[in-house]
Formats: sequence, C-alpha cells, structure tokens
Amino acid sequence: MTVFNPALLEILSRKVSGLADEMALTLKRTARSAFVKEGGDFGVGVADLAGNIFAWPSDSTVAGVSTIYYPLGGVIEAFPDLEPGDVIGTNDAYTSDGLSTHLPDYHLVRPYFHAGRIVAYGWCFCHFNDVGGRVPGSVSPTNTDIFQEGLRVPPLKVVRQGEVNADWLALFTANSRSPELNLGDFKALLAAVETGARRAERMIARHGAEAFVDCQEVLLAYAEEKTRAVLRTVPEGVYEFCDFVDDDMITPYPFRIRLAVTFRDGAVTIDLSDTDPQVPGALNYPSMGRMCAGFTRRLVTFICTHDKTIPFNAGIFRPITAINPPGHAMNAEFPNAIGSRLDTIRRLNDVMNGILLQAAPKRMAAPAGGASLEIVYSDPDPGGRNRSRITVVQSMRGGMGAYSGNDGVDGRDASYVNIKNQRLETVESLSGIVVNEYEVRADSGGPGEWRGGVGQMITFEARRDGGTLIIQGIDRQRFQGWGIFGARPAAPFRVIRNRGLAGETELSRFDRLDLAAGERVTVMMPGGSGMGDPLKRDPESVRRDVRLGFATEEGALRDYGVVIASGRVDRAATKRARSESAPRNVRRDFDVGPEREAWEAVFDDETMRVFNRNLYRLPRSVRLARRSWIFAQVIPVMPEAGRGSVAAAIGDPDAARARLADAMKTAFGPDYRSVVE
Amino acid sequence: MTADTAAPSPRGPAGRCRVGVDVGGTFTDFVLADSSSGTLTRFKVPSVPDDPSLSVERGLSALIERAGVVPDDIGLIVHGTTLLINAIIQRRGAKVGLVVSQGNRSVLEIGRGNLAHTQDFTLRKEEPLVPRDLIFETSARVLADGVLRTPVADAELTQIAERAKANGIEAVAVQLLNSYMHPALEHEVAEGLRRRLDGVPVTESATIWPELGEFERALIAIMNAYVQPIMDDYLTRLVARVKAVGVGAPVYITASNGGTVSVETARARPIDTVLSGPASGVVAALRAAQAAGRSNLITVDMGGTSCDVSVVQDGEPSFTSDAHVGNLPLMVPVLDVSAIGAGGGSVVWVDPQGVLKIGPHSAGAEPGPVCYGRGGTEPTLTDCYLLVGYIHPDHFLGGRMRLDEAGARVALEAVGMRIGLQDAPDRAVKAAAAALDVATAVMAAELQKGTARRGENPADFTLMAFGGAGPTHANLLADEVDIECVIVPPASSTFCALGAILADVKRDYVRSRHIRLRDGGDAAAALAQIFRDLEAEATAWLAAEGDILGAAEFATTLEMRYEGQSFELPVSLPRALARRPDVAAIADRFHDAHEKLYGFRDLESDAEITTQRLRVTGRMPPVTMPEIDAGPTPSPDDRRRVYHQGAAMDVPVFQRSQLLRDAVVGGPAIIEQEDSTTWILPEWRAVTDRIGNLILTPAAGTEG
Repeated sequence: MTVFNPALLEILSRKVSGLADEMALTLKRTARSAFVKEGGDFGVGVADLAGNIFAWPSDSTVAGVSTIYYPLGGVIEAFPDLEPGDVIGTNDAYTSDGLSTHLPDYHLVRPYFHAGRIVAYGWCFCHFNDVGGRVPGSVSPTNTDIFQEGLRVPPLKVVRQGEVNADWLALFTANSRSPELNLGDFKALLAAVETGARRAERMIARHGAEAFVDCQEVLLAYAEEKTRAVLRTVPEGVYEFCDFVDDDMITPYPFRIRLAVTFRDGAVTIDLSDTDPQVPGALNYPSMGRMCAGFTRRLVTFICTHDKTIPFNAGIFRPITAINPPGHAMNAEFPNAIGSRLDTIRRLNDVMNGILLQAAPKRMAAPAGGASLEIVYSDPDPGGRNRSRITVVQSMRGGMGAYSGNDGVDGRDASYVNIKNQRLETVESLSGIVVNEYEVRADSGGPGEWRGGVGQMITFEARRDGGTLIIQGIDRQRFQGWGIFGARPAAPFRVIRNRGLAGETELSRFDRLDLAAGERVTVMMPGGSGMGDPLKRDPESVRRDVRLGFATEEGALRDYGVVIASGRVDRAATKRARSESAPRNVRRDFDVGPEREAWEAVFDDETMRVFNRNLYRLPRSVRLARRSWIFAQVIPVMPEAGRGSVAAAIGDPDAARARLADAMKTAFGPDYRSVVE
Repeated sequence: MTADTAAPSPRGPAGRCRVGVDVGGTFTDFVLADSSSGTLTRFKVPSVPDDPSLSVERGLSALIERAGVVPDDIGLIVHGTTLLINAIIQRRGAKVGLVVSQGNRSVLEIGRGNLAHTQDFTLRKEEPLVPRDLIFETSARVLADGVLRTPVADAELTQIAERAKANGIEAVAVQLLNSYMHPALEHEVAEGLRRRLDGVPVTESATIWPELGEFERALIAIMNAYVQPIMDDYLTRLVARVKAVGVGAPVYITASNGGTVSVETARARPIDTVLSGPASGVVAALRAAQAAGRSNLITVDMGGTSCDVSVVQDGEPSFTSDAHVGNLPLMVPVLDVSAIGAGGGSVVWVDPQGVLKIGPHSAGAEPGPVCYGRGGTEPTLTDCYLLVGYIHPDHFLGGRMRLDEAGARVALEAVGMRIGLQDAPDRAVKAAAAALDVATAVMAAELQKGTARRGENPADFTLMAFGGAGPTHANLLADEVDIECVIVPPASSTFCALGAILADVKRDYVRSRHIRLRDGGDAAAALAQIFRDLEAEATAWLAAEGDILGAAEFATTLEMRYEGQSFELPVSLPRALARRPDVAAIADRFHDAHEKLYGFRDLESDAEITTQRLRVTGRMPPVTMPEIDAGPTPSPDDRRRVYHQGAAMDVPVFQRSQLLRDAVVGGPAIIEQEDSTTWILPEWRAVTDRIGNLILTPAAGTEG
C-alpha cells in the first residue's frame, strides 16, 4: 500500500479532478445537442474497482450536473469478462440498478486497463435529445409506463474491444426522432472516456499504477472524514418533515413526500417509508431501494457550504444511508414511468431543507421557489418546408431562499439547474412570439425578517395562429413555499391566459395549450422562502424593496406592516400598522399557508401514515385506484391546482374527517387502524 | 480569422523613437524603442494612484534623459492602464441610468439566470452596475423582423430625462430589444435624451456592439457609459502631461483585442480597452517567441496575486467572446487570457485533516508574503521559493528589498509540524518543497484544462514565462505537463509596456444577421451587403485613426451551424469569398469545420449563418528587437544550496545580464535578474538566443 504524505494526497486529489475536468471539457466541446452544450445535462467521473466515483470535475462551471452519486457497482458486477477497449452502455434504470434515472440519460462505463488489469472505470453520461417513445423528447409527466418513454437499453457492450457494436447502433439509430444528434453526443461520450483513459495513463506513468489505485480509497476516505466532521456539528436526533406535489397530472390529488432523518455521530439515515405510493404518471423516481443522489441535493449543499475544501467524490455519501422500501413515489417499481422525476426530487429536497432547518436553524438556508420549468413553443415555420419550429421561450426560475441575516437571491436560482436562460432576442428572431415582459415578480418572495428572493415572471404573445405551448414542471400552484420562524409563505405559482385582456383565465397545470394570434400567456414563478417575522424586518429594507420593485407599496403594508409614502417610510403609520398586525397568528416554526393547513386538517401526518400502510398492504394493481376512491369520498369535487380552493372544497374539516374514516373502513376493513405498530 | 497578405508597408512615424507606457497599481513601466540605434530602453517609476498621468509625466522625462534622446525624437506613444478595469471591479464608475424596452427592466437582476456555483447557498449574485430604480423603460419597440410596434413618444422621453436629472445621472446607456438588427429606434431614443440631457454622455448599445443578446449588449453599453467620464478625464490630463514634457507625438491606447486605438476612439469606446493589460503581455510574448522561432505557445504571466495563462497557436493568439470583467460577462472579442489560481502570494495552509493546501486566497501585495516583513503571517509560495533556495534574501528586486528568511522559516515550520514532519530537523524546507509540488500540480491541472478546452495537448507547446514569479516556477510546471521548451524573455517585468509598442491598430466589427444558405442567391447577396457595409465602416474608421498606419487589412469570420442547432462553429472566410460570397463554397467550409471537430458532415441538414465578424488591422511601423552580442558563457558568480527532490544540492548562480548570445547554462542552475529568478532543473539546460531569450530544454533533447 502506497504511503500518502499530505502533499502527495493533495497533488493526486488535484490531478484526478483535473483529469475529470478534461473529460468534461472534451464532452462539452464535441457534443452536438443543446442539452450538453447549453444545458449542462451531463456528467463525467472516474470510479474505483467497486464503482465508487473518486474523480469528479473540480470546476462547477464545466462539471455538468451537480450531483455525483452514480454507483456503477451493479453494472460492473454484471460484466466479469471485460476486455480492453470495451465500453458498457445503458439508459435503463430498472436493469442498471438505478445508474440511469430516466431513458434519455445514456451512461457509458469503460474499464481502464493497465498491464493487463483494470485500475479504474471511466464513466460519463449525457441527456440524449430523443430516445423514442410517445412524445418528442421522450419525457412527459403524463406517460404512464416506461414503454411510453422510449427504447430501453439494459447494460450491454456498445463497444467491443474498440469496435462500436453495429447491432446496437442500428437499433439505437432507428429508435430516435433525432438520430444524428444522438450519434454526435454518443461520439462525444466515447471521446470523454477516451480522454480519461489517456490522462489516467499519464498519471500512472508519473506516480505508478500502485499509487493510482491506492489513492482512490484514500481520497474517498478523505472526503468521508471531512463530511463526517460537518455532520457532527448537527445536533443528534430524529427530524421529520413532509411536503406535497400539487398533483400527479393524472389524478387531481396531491401526493406527499415524507422523510424521517436521523443524525447520529456524523452519520445520517434517511427514512422514506411514509412517503406516498408511486403515482400513475411519470413523476416517480427509480431509486431501486438504495440511497440515492437525488435524496441528498440539499444535504450535500449544506455539507459543501460548511466545508468548501471537500474533494467532491462518492466518499461524501458514505455516512449517508437510506431506509427505502419499494413502491413509494421515490422508489418506483417496474414498469412505472419515471421521465419527469426531477420535479419530485425538487420537492423531496424541500423536505430535506425543512429537516436541516430544524436540525441546524442558524446554518441552513430556506428553500428556493420550488418550481423550475421550461416554456416550449412550437409554431409553423414561415420559411420552412411545412415544418414547425420548436423554441424554448424561457427557462423559468423562482427566487432563492433566505439565509439567516441575508435575503434570498432575486430572480435567479442555481439550486437544481444552473443553466443560462434564453435571450429574448433569440426567441423573438426564431419564433412567432413577442415577449411583453421578462421581469422579477414583485411581492413573490416569502415575507420575513429576511425575505425570500423574488421569482421571475414572463408574459408573451403569439403573433400568428397555429402555435402550441408546452410547459413541464409546474408546481407550487396549490401549496405555497412555507415560511420559517415566523416568515409567511411565499407567493404560489400562477399561469394566466390573456392577463389584462378580455377573457382572462387562471390556468392549472396543462399538457399543451393552443394559442391564437394575439393571445398572451403570463407565467409567474414562486418566490423563495423567507425567515423570521416580517414585522421585524427593517422598514428601510422594505423601502429599498419598494424602490427597486421587489415589493409593491401594497405588499409592504400587507406583508410587512410598513407604510411607504412618497418613497419614504411613514414611521408613525408603520408603528400603528405593525401593532395592529401583531395579534395575527405567527407560527414560530413553519407557516405552510391556508391551503395546506386545510388539507392537513383532514389528512394529517398520523392519518396519512395509517392510510399509506394500508395501501402498501394491497397489491400494486389496486393501490392507486383505492387511493383515488378514498380521496373522492372525502372531497367529491376536487378543484384543479390554481383554479379553486382546497379549503373550500373540503368544507367542514370534522365532517371531512368523518367521511375519511368511513372511506378507509370501507376500503381497508374495520381494523385498518391496527396497521401502525 | 484569415488575414490578408501583401498589404503595403506602413510609413514610419516622424520621430525615430516609440514609447510604450504601462500604468500599473504599483509601478508605471516604460519602454523606448529607438529605430536608428536599434536599442530598447526600459524604465520604471512608482505609480501615483491619485493621478496616474503624473507618473507618466515624471517617468517620460526621466526616460528621455536616460535614453539620451530629445522629446522631438519621439514619434509615437502607446499607453495602457488598469484604471478602467479597477473602476468597474471596485464599482467606482459614473452614476449611470439605463434605458430599456418596456418589460425588460430586470435585465441586470436576472442576467442569464445562473450563478457562479451550485453547492454553496451563501453565494450572492453580483452587485448590478445600475440599480433597478435607475433603469427606465420606454414603450418604443421594434420587433425582430423590423416591424415597428410602438414609436418613440416625446412625452415619455421628457419624463425619463426628468427622472434622470432628478437622480443626478452622470451618463446614460440605452439598450432596446432587437436594436442589434434595427438600431434606428434606439438611436432615436438616444438622440431625444441627448437633446434633453445637455452634456450627459449617452451610449447606444448597437453603436458599440450590434450583436444579438440583450443582457450582454446592455452590459457593454453600461460599462462603456460607466467608465467614459473617467477615461475622458484621464486622457485629457494624459495628453496635457505628454505635451508638458515637450512631446508632440500622437498617443495611442492599448485595446483588449491585442491592438491599439487612437485617443479619440478610446474616448468614444473605452469599453474596447478595459482588458488591455494582460493582452499587451501576450503581444510581447508573441514577438519574443517569433525571434526564437516558436509559434505554438502557452504564455504564463505569474505575478504576486495571480497567474494569467493564454494559448497561441500557429502564431495566432486565441480570442474569446466569453471573457469577464470582474464577474460581468463581456461579449466583445478579446484576447483569451484566463487567470489560474496561484501567484507568489498564494497562501500555503493545512486543513483540519492534515492535508497541505495552496490558495485560493492570496496575501497579495499587502501584507504580502511573510518574508516581505510587512506583517504577513501566512506562508506563501514566495516564502517557499526563498526557503528552498530559488531566490536569495539579499538579491530580491536587485537587492532593493531584503527578505526576512527567518520569518518565512518560522511560518513554514508551523506547516511542517502539521503535515507529519515533526521529527525532521529541516521541516520548514521540506514543507516548502512539498508546497511547491502541490502548487505545480494545481497550476498544471489548470493549464491542462485550458488546452483540453481546445482539444490540444500541452506537450505540443512552448511555455513562455514572465511576470515576477513566472521564470521561477516555469521549469517545474513545464516538466509536470511534459512541455519540452520554456522561454524566459528578457526584462519580462516591463513586458506590457513593450507589448504596447509592438501592437497594431485593430478593431472588431460584428453583425448578427440570420442567413440560411438554402436561400441561395439571396443569402449570398445579403452576406455581400453586410461585408461591404462592415468594410466601409472599418475603412472609414481606420482612416481617421492616424496617418502613420498601413492600409486596412481585413479578416472575416462567420459563425455557422446546422439549422435548428443552438450553438455555432467559427468559419473563417478568405477575402475574396467575403466580397463575393458563394453559398456552396461557404457551406463547404462549414462542413469542413464540422468534420474537423465531429468527424462527419451532416449533408442532410442545411447550414445557416448567425453572426458575421470582421477585424480591421492597420499596421504600425515595425519595431526591431535589439540583438545581444555573442560571447563566452561566464562562470557562475555565486553558488548556493537549493533543496530539490528530498536533498540539498550545491547550485551555481549566474547573472542574466552577463549571459551573452549562445551562452549555455546546464542545470541545476539559478539565473538571477533584477526582477525575477529562473530556476533550471537538473537534466535541463538554458541557451541564450540572439535577442536575449533564455531557452530551456531537456539537456538530452535537441535544442530549440
């Protein structure tokens, strides 16, 4: 075993991340699709012999995706006969032990040989433009099984001893709407693992194969040790929190992500047992019963914020385990659709955010706006040969969350996706769209002593008939981003057709929307969450918000009790307004807003645990129908998210609870309460 | 870009001498090139932070005296300054009001929607140059296809002007959506504001840089407006100071694209000069390398706080339209110089797990390294150079600054104690050597990233090292990345001043016209018209830049892609093809470029052009680099102990000034000069070429 002095360890740490940087740069330079070039929807790394990634790019601006827990172990074990020049490829979660998490993501794994033995595995993936399936781009939240989502490729040798597997290639090419883009990206992936191989060979030439292999475990252990040091600063205990996705796009009912997280001596256990069952659409996550990168986005951000020198590798995940039984939305079972899993991951991480705020309130930021989406417009191309053109109108972001002593970032959000937006001038030159406004949305940040960052908003207009709008990722339309330690909830998401014109309509989530010439759509993103009592916010900060347009004068009075007159704070009136607002119900922990309060007055935590445990005892085939049936008994007319109040639909909560008890008795039998231990 | 050949050679300036001036934060550097004697005279004076033009006046008269010439001998002054970039980074510019299209008032708040990092929730975004309440909306609006949706309303302009006045606005920037295609509306708004705001400068985004991208174009207009009053004031004083010395020569200002521009252009377009500092260094490096017959270079300018790296291929420096001024993107093409995180002041530290780290924080110039004795307590790379013996405590800056070796030793002892060297008697030296190994790995990884971005291998390049610490670290770095030739040019600390007088007059032009090649003759006609317009504009500009320049030379580039793609490849056009565009020939060049990068031609897809670029160059009269005399290799004038790979060795020390042409120094060796020290590894050797470059190569390999 090589002895690593503290300098050599740092040198090898820098070199392996530099190696990964070069893989990323090669991929980015030679890829052909916008997913890689502009969206950064790719990843590269080098894994040890057990499939743990020990080398990850150091530069977050070139790294692609910001999560690194891609365990290659399952795939590697399945190929005991690898030879030099072989490359394994797969895009299928269910047969790759969850390496890929939806079908557009193609992963390659290449063994790096030296002197006849494997010394590491090069890995990379990118999001392919289209892999077949029901809809162009292969991803739709209304897909209901994986066969609608494209061609599944279980792990197989896509390259054998340096020769591309022609059978696979023919199949792959025949099953895409954009084979040439896919092919370009596939070549770029191959180039990336080749770059990694060459750089690894150079490191071996300089430091020896033994040091190259031995440093892998040392680097993983180093990251683990640093991670544990941060986690030990979190008070030990079990913390519980839950949050909801507004609905699953197929039924109108919300579904709940619930975590119980234990911090003990620098280790973390994430228990997902009480999360709702997998949903009929594509919002499920295929975690294959394991601990998963998706569960830890906010946790890893917390860890890396508090030690900026942790080498980014899979050692960070060693102190983290998951209790992850099958069948819930975050552990979908074959053949469920999974294409839109990122929307659910975002909510799960809001839950993790709530847990960290309980565990380390002074050292955790509030969550970001909770929605992030692409507005896609397709219209006939006037210069085209009867083709329609597809334009991304905008990648919309909410604001970011407050951090004790700081307001959240306004109009930007790097929490999950950090890609650049579309230039309006590009959009207007390539589509029949005029953008009337692309702005920050005043009053949208969660009111607090430290307010949430305001979200973005956009209004655009179709210049010609025949356009169709697709927006995926709408959420937080029904249940608002919660406030913390006295802060009020952030403004919900809204989408409005013809705002300020005749026939103005508030819309709910939609799959697609046809627009006539002159019609307008306004998309208003939720703000980030705030912290602390808004009545304690410095009136001068509120005045500044009004001056800069992050709040309106009405909002200043309503949310902060601050009276602004002619650009100045009216101190006397503010004092009066604040003392009058004082008796209002300030929640010291989490203020989830009236809609969720009404929902949870009926479907409270204890009830939902009983509800779900009964559901999980049923065969999967009847689970979802039974669930919907019970909800329908309690709320006969469930409004669509954003188009009516849940509180109003529920009515008297006591009567609703009685209906629920009856329905559960009918559905699960009279002893349904006995399931909870 | 493809440059035209056979341009007529430029006429020489009236005076025989040319002076380059580089005003830095600490020193103002001068280089005087005398064409009759073929000599270069170098000089330095301390900068005067409150009035940088004063150090120019002082230094210039002293330089003239030192060079033994009279003011009338000077035919040209080329000047570079860091004034503007500092004003932007420190937010010390004018109070700017921005006028935008209605609905676009958050253009700076939203920016491109992203942040610098994803794994740190304490990260804030950059402070906008214009706060949102000083951004005014106009309803005047033109669409991408030229349809005028809403004309300019006089009452609205009056209102904007009143608000600007009430807020004490000192400069205005105007950026309307789609003005890159249809600048007339933006111009009308700007003119209306000029009439109403007497004397307040108004910058139009499309006049400065008519390229698609409202956020980037707004920033260009804002930055231009933001520094214009500072530049204007400075140039007025500068010109007066130069006159006061009795020099009547024209003054030129160095530009970010590696060229220079007249004082008049610098006043109107100060944005073009913001990143000129590092660019001048690259220009000088190119010339020094030319003398050594090298055309593929990685230049490494390593100073106290940072290390600037750039890549030159086939004698052509790299350009980028994705540079940053502080944390603000700059879309105008500039010489591509990237900062990598290590300088002489980078701090050496140990993390709680006992792992040795370098930077990214720097002790800077104040308090600086421990050995400067100015109160610095954290050991830096410079302290390490001192302890391992590369630099001598009594010879730093020509002996003008004595270094505190004992202090550096104490600081590095503490590092040694924490990295397992408790029992080693020479733990401070060992810690220093270990820290330099780490620094080399950090720099190597960054440098290789730069070449990987271009798909190149560092081994195919020559490392050109300058700046105070560049020559000291160059050989270590070259060895690490398998570079087999290092050039250390003479007097590299005045390199930017030298680069200034070597630069030609240059300016870039752009259009963003979306042209589909499948439109055939129409596409060709549109392209021809664009290049005719650009050439006419460039020719007229150059004609007004001064009468010492050669005829205009043009280089033209298209940015092209397959229809529906969202990113472009640059395709350079020969002059003839730009003048008489042929769609098939252009398509061919694009397919070639695509094939070179991706390995195939997509003949099923049609190609389209998104951006047209033209660079005009007016050659300055050439400067001859003075040659040094040949002579025998001197004997070392000293020996000292240098710690290398775990052992102390006895190493000869040479004085750079005594190394004549063709002198050969075998490693291990130290070569000292006033402003730097070169460390030559064992098994390497250095040879001096005819202009005084030190050329380092592995001793076993063939020479340069």
